[in-house]
Amino acid sequence: MEENKAKKNWLMRLWSKPGSGQVITAILGLIVLSIVFGMLNASFFSGRNIGNLLRQITSTLITGIGQSYVMITANIDLSIGSVVGMSCMMSATLMTHGMNPWVAVLITMLCCLLVGWVNGELVARCKLPPFIATLGTMTICRGIAQIVNNNYNTDSIGEGATGFRNFFYYGKTLGLYNTIWIAIVLWLVFNFLLSRTRTGRYIYAIGSNVEAAKLSGVNVVKTTTIAYLVSAICSGVVGLVICATTGMGTMDAGNSYEMYAVAAGVIGGVSPLGGQGILLGTAVGASIWGVLQNGLQFAGAPVAIRNIVIGIIVVVSVLFDVILRSGKRRHVKADA
Amino acid sequence: MSEILVSMEHIVKTFPGVRALDDVRFELRSGEVMALLGENGAGKSTLMKILSGVYSRDSGTMRILGREYGNLTPKGAQEAGVAIIHQELNMCQHLTVAQNMFLGREPMKGIQIDSRRMREDCRKYLKKLHFDIDPDTVVGELAVSKQQIVEIAKALSLNAKILIMDEPTSALTSNEINDLFRIIHDLKSDGHGIVYISHRLEELQYVADRVTIMRDGHYIADGKFTDFTMDQIIANMVGREIKEKYPRVSCKAGRTILEVKNLNAGRMVRNVSLQVKAGEILGIAGLMGAGRTETSRAIFGADPKESGQIILDGKEITINSPEDAIRAGIVLAPEDRRKDGLCTKLSIHDNIALPNLDLLCGRFGVVDRKKENVMVRKAQKDLEIKMPNDEVRAETLSGGNMQKLVVAKWLARGAKVIIFDEPTRGIDVAAKVEIYQIMNQLKQEGIGVMFISSELPELLGIADRIDVMCEGRVTGELDPHETTQNEVLTYATRFESKVQTAEA
Repeated sequence: MEENKAKKNWLMRLWSKPGSGQVITAILGLIVLSIVFGMLNASFFSGRNIGNLLRQITSTLITGIGQSYVMITANIDLSIGSVVGMSCMMSATLMTHGMNPWVAVLITMLCCLLVGWVNGELVARCKLPPFIATLGTMTICRGIAQIVNNNYNTDSIGEGATGFRNFFYYGKTLGLYNTIWIAIVLWLVFNFLLSRTRTGRYIYAIGSNVEAAKLSGVNVVKTTTIAYLVSAICSGVVGLVICATTGMGTMDAGNSYEMYAVAAGVIGGVSPLGGQGILLGTAVGASIWGVLQNGLQFAGAPVAIRNIVIGIIVVVSVLFDVILRSGKRRHVKADA
Repeated sequence: MSEILVSMEHIVKTFPGVRALDDVRFELRSGEVMALLGENGAGKSTLMKILSGVYSRDSGTMRILGREYGNLTPKGAQEAGVAIIHQELNMCQHLTVAQNMFLGREPMKGIQIDSRRMREDCRKYLKKLHFDIDPDTVVGELAVSKQQIVEIAKALSLNAKILIMDEPTSALTSNEINDLFRIIHDLKSDGHGIVYISHRLEELQYVADRVTIMRDGHYIADGKFTDFTMDQIIANMVGREIKEKYPRVSCKAGRTILEVKNLNAGRMVRNVSLQVKAGEILGIAGLMGAGRTETSRAIFGADPKESGQIILDGKEITINSPEDAIRAGIVLAPEDRRKDGLCTKLSIHDNIALPNLDLLCGRFGVVDRKKENVMVRKAQKDLEIKMPNDEVRAETLSGGNMQKLVVAKWLARGAKVIIFDEPTRGIDVAAKVEIYQIMNQLKQEGIGVMFISSELPELLGIADRIDVMCEGRVTGELDPHETTQNEVLTYATRFESKVQTAEA
């Protein structure tokens, strides 16, 4: 009896979370898309393709988690793509110079965290518009990505880095590629942080109403910085994954990932206006993104067509939500 | 006699699940101020939205200036001569006065805007109201009262005969209110009809000619204002008699809980000293801009302090942020509920839990949901917040319930001092009494209550001691049992002499 009640509460809580309606729509959309692509080409559902698909999704999912954190605080992080590039170039450069891969990973992640911290300070303490502040760090980080190896992509990171490459990309654990495990672990950790802890609640509160949050005793600077740090961690990890995948550093790695990350969140119901969204939505959004890319590729659609279709999907999914919500709001007003 | 401007009969309006208006009638004549009264949710706004073309009605007839109208659009209502002066002024803050006044109907000269004519016309309409505002001023730089006057002038420029004013005085100082009343008088004698919506019943005697009272979507009564007593009006609005508008409980004043000594914070808080004692409500009176809100924010740590001591329970404490204040047990229910008080997009549940998460979290900051649910349920039960369930967004609540939610947030953690900044602004009579009772209860429990208000009657009725502020200074301390409104006002207008610096 008691347990039954608790269960209902859990479902009710999920359902009543703002933006959850959109998550459900997105899940339905994902299922429909998969069926359509499966019908167009039976090998869409082949084990090989599913494996590929999941690995394709991971980078959008991981950066999407970071961007969702920032968007829920009603800010934006444009530096994501450049931090990915910086992380990829920096770790690769250090490794080509013979550094132990794990030390290189540590140094790289620390640098990414520094960027996240700067973003947080600029936005929350100095009150710079997030668009401008992160536009600045975005450009700086891309510059760093270029400068670390004197404006060249690096050579192969070599034999000594096999362990590193296996850990981040090639290896399998329990039959699943490690990259996918990394994404799952990050999702679980950050989902827990966002939905179950004080910091998570504060993130929503800031995005909903910064002034009220401050007057409720929320440390706005600290919490906003945490959101940017999470974003930086996610970007850093994606940079390492790319480095492990290609076995070298590429200066323009991660280009426009910040926008894919926005798309993943927004398709899944995270509001760029802040205060709403859940990471389940981001996961579904990233999956839709990946399925579209992969499915359209399978169906033989050229890159240009893929871009157009995906752009339309992003706009329509949000438009759909806006229309739904304006209908709902009218009802609410009437009740008041 | 006077001409009938608006006549609405048998108006019915339903929204999904609610009958917002049920057989309502309303009449407005030229040269009169019709006060439209009712509690929140009585249907006043809905009725006026039908008149101004925002909503369509389900049935009933509506005549404006003798002409029968079907469903109006906002534009159609404007052409018919209806204008609304909104509570939240609807103007483009970055445009100039003239640009706002003629937005969407700029006088043209060929293909370009005839700016000179626009400016001249703008000045002309402002002159009609005896106001000299430069048409080139950016609206955002004007005081709220001036912005309101621009809106009224805009209505005149649209040739409106019927002006609907929704809570026009809620953001004005008493001088500005006098100006507004003078304008209303002028408009009346020009033959305009004015619908006046306000929760401040005290001010009706200065403006209202007739009243229409509504309750729960029904028409209840109308008639000449002088034919009603205030108690009858309230009884009609609430549907039952409110025995005491200002229920007072007496307690013995105890020890000093909070003492503020020589607090300075910016221009608006200068050398403020005050004491909050157990078992009493300290009222803070003053005009708009007297520094009351600023003082409360400085004590609470929301704004930086320059100097001064804050002594809680005999110990001096340092408050640099709201976090510090909350930890120490000093909390603030801010003036603007939507803007500062609540995270309106979050649920009621989350709003109550937000400032108390430090108490609800276990190790690693993980929220203990069981504890949380218990706290939330207790808080909403204690304050009788009316809501469908605790997962709905805070923005869906009515003004009174929102205020209760702001209080509930804080009561849940057992604070030592609670500062209420204008807790009854914009809420109806019955809800006001509930808020007073909450304050009384706190007082009886020995919690220090600081009560900032611009409404003198409620301060005189509820507070046990009143500190009056003017220009950021405390100019006097009064006993509400012995003082009068006039005496409070004398202290509230004791401005520093600009010539002499020395003052007793």
